[in-house]
Amino acid sequence: MDAANKWERISSSDGEADRLYSKSRTFAGDVWFRFRRKPTALLGFILVVILLLFAIVGPFFSPYTYSQQNTKMANVPPVMKVFPGPDGSYFYITQGLKVIELDEDGHLIQQLKKKKDDAKLKQTSFKFGDDQLVIMDYSSLPAVMLDQDGNRIEETILKWNATYVLGTDHLGRDILTRLMYGTRISLMVAFIATAVNMIIGILYGGIAGYRGGKTDAIMMRIVDIISTIPLTLYVILIKVCLDDGLISIIVALSSVYWVDMARVVRGQVLSLKNQEFVMAARTIGSSTRTILLTHLIPNAMGPILVTVTMLIPSAIFMEAFMSFIGIGIAPPMASLGTMCNDATEALRTNPYQLFLPAIVICVIMFAFNFVGDGLRDALDPKLKK
Amino acid sequence: MDRAFPDRPLLQVQGLTKHFPVRSGGGNKVVHAVDQVSFSIPKGKTLGLVGESGCGKSTCARTIIRIYDPTAGKIILDGQDISSLNQKELMPYRKKMQMIFQDPYASLNARMTVHDIIAEPLRAHHICHSKAEERDMVNEMLSQVGLNQEHAGRYAHEFSGGQRQRVGIARALILKPELVICDEPISALDVSIQAQIINLLRQFQENLGLSYLFIAHDLSMVRYVSDEVGVMYLGQLVEICDANEIYSHPLHPYTKGLLSSIPVPNPRMAQTKESVGLEGDLPSPIAPPSGCRFHTRCPYATKKCAECTPELKDVGGGHYVACHQVTDSSV
Repeated sequence: MDAANKWERISSSDGEADRLYSKSRTFAGDVWFRFRRKPTALLGFILVVILLLFAIVGPFFSPYTYSQQNTKMANVPPVMKVFPGPDGSYFYITQGLKVIELDEDGHLIQQLKKKKDDAKLKQTSFKFGDDQLVIMDYSSLPAVMLDQDGNRIEETILKWNATYVLGTDHLGRDILTRLMYGTRISLMVAFIATAVNMIIGILYGGIAGYRGGKTDAIMMRIVDIISTIPLTLYVILIKVCLDDGLISIIVALSSVYWVDMARVVRGQVLSLKNQEFVMAARTIGSSTRTILLTHLIPNAMGPILVTVTMLIPSAIFMEAFMSFIGIGIAPPMASLGTMCNDATEALRTNPYQLFLPAIVICVIMFAFNFVGDGLRDALDPKLKK
Repeated sequence: MDRAFPDRPLLQVQGLTKHFPVRSGGGNKVVHAVDQVSFSIPKGKTLGLVGESGCGKSTCARTIIRIYDPTAGKIILDGQDISSLNQKELMPYRKKMQMIFQDPYASLNARMTVHDIIAEPLRAHHICHSKAEERDMVNEMLSQVGLNQEHAGRYAHEFSGGQRQRVGIARALILKPELVICDEPISALDVSIQAQIINLLRQFQENLGLSYLFIAHDLSMVRYVSDEVGVMYLGQLVEICDANEIYSHPLHPYTKGLLSSIPVPNPRMAQTKESVGLEGDLPSPIAPPSGCRFHTRCPYATKKCAECTPELKDVGGGHYVACHQVTDSSV
């Protein structure tokens, strides 16, 4: 358009008038717009996606299962100090003074067969190849290998474990695979428990808030009574009564944690139910069900979502905690909590066995807390720009 | 007390009372929001209800439409007393009686599209048998209130105040009610938009023969839309008569005060106008003054006013007023 035409009147045909409206953004679009502008929230969201992929897709690419044991390869860390041996081979001495042969790339080949143990010299000889012998000296710890001439090999090389990328636990199970299954259990428990909590909490709080009066008083006093005793105690008590396993842990978590949700929803409904649009629905003659499900709860969805994202990390932590103290997921199923528990026995010698699941728990907690935080800001209309 | 109308009035309110219990402070105190209000609205006519904030106009409207349960009194809609029906029994009467709300921003659900908002009454009363029928009815209604079909898919927050109020009107009128209660439908709008909305409402009254209970605190607008005007003070009706009569011959001191508070566009005119100022604040509705409730602020109050409650009496020509000064002198 040239300069002269800028002052010409635009005919307002129907199509033109329609274009004059700004692009209408839905509520969800609006929230997403504000959410993604916060770096921590976006980071949390990306982490959640990665964790979901790790937990759901990961196990399909793993050659191991969560319960597959290889006791000969137990307690092998992800990074090893190895001694060079004959024919381009390498040896790793485990904490149990077993010798494991590795190839150039760091693949574990086998545990060497013990040939002779000289208790006096504190030397053990192992069969290697067809007829060769290699000698390990444990007269002074840490143990070292001796070379062909019987000298101690002081020079060690650090090698990444190519067979078990994150090492193995005390039963020789692949930690990476167990972490995937552990994360899967954690997320599954968290999502199912949170979904159940959400449904119970929304209905309970919604009915209490909408009915008001005596119904509200009685229902909320029940919530008060439940919440005076620490929720952890309830979960432990419920777990003690039920069998071990995934379902009972979900039952335990979902039967207790809805009290927070009920309080949030009730507060929201109390403030919303006197708004004119709810009155309008009542004068129209809409049923209580319609009012609750199409007017009150969708408008209370912001605080509900925030509570949900805050509920997920606490459910995950609770599951890990219970598994850690031994009333959670039954072995051999992997859970981040049981993995931590198993690792505490050998914390000094194999710290990686504790740190890896602990790091995963931290990442999950961080991710969901960041997302929850971001959502709270994104859903707060007062911050709307 | 009953006034004669040629036909049976569409809505008749007799001794309507609504008290709200006060929780805090203990005791059995109540807020006297509406006390012994009686009026009737003939078919196709408009009753304007005016008064200052907190005088019980909105409570009166909400009690009539049964958002609140009345403490006492009768609400007779089309010959049937609906004051004691429960919500389920009320359903057929809800179709005859709808409400337009004050705040077009708060009265529309922000999570619903305009189509869903207008279709909600149809769904609640199971009127449409198919989606297509529902869509046709909503589109028809949209064009009647001056909106496009394209607006149906939008959310309420995308509209201006006037457009939202049109949506509110469409929602109230889609059930083809006989009585529409307008609870200050224009007070949240710009002056230029107010006239549009009022004209829209009048147009519907002419075409569909609607009756309105029109609540407002803008007296000049009430005069324009109403056939009859009732003045409320502290939960009670103090004067009710023909709209033109009340503006030309106000009798109750409170009505005079209200009318003198209408701002006059021309300042020279304003100087010549007789000023009956209203002094003081509205007394607490928890403990309303004895006798005539207005006596604490009335310039003509006597001892009788503080002791004896005046009744709403006809002083001639269907002009009802509740004031000892007026009724005593005319007798």
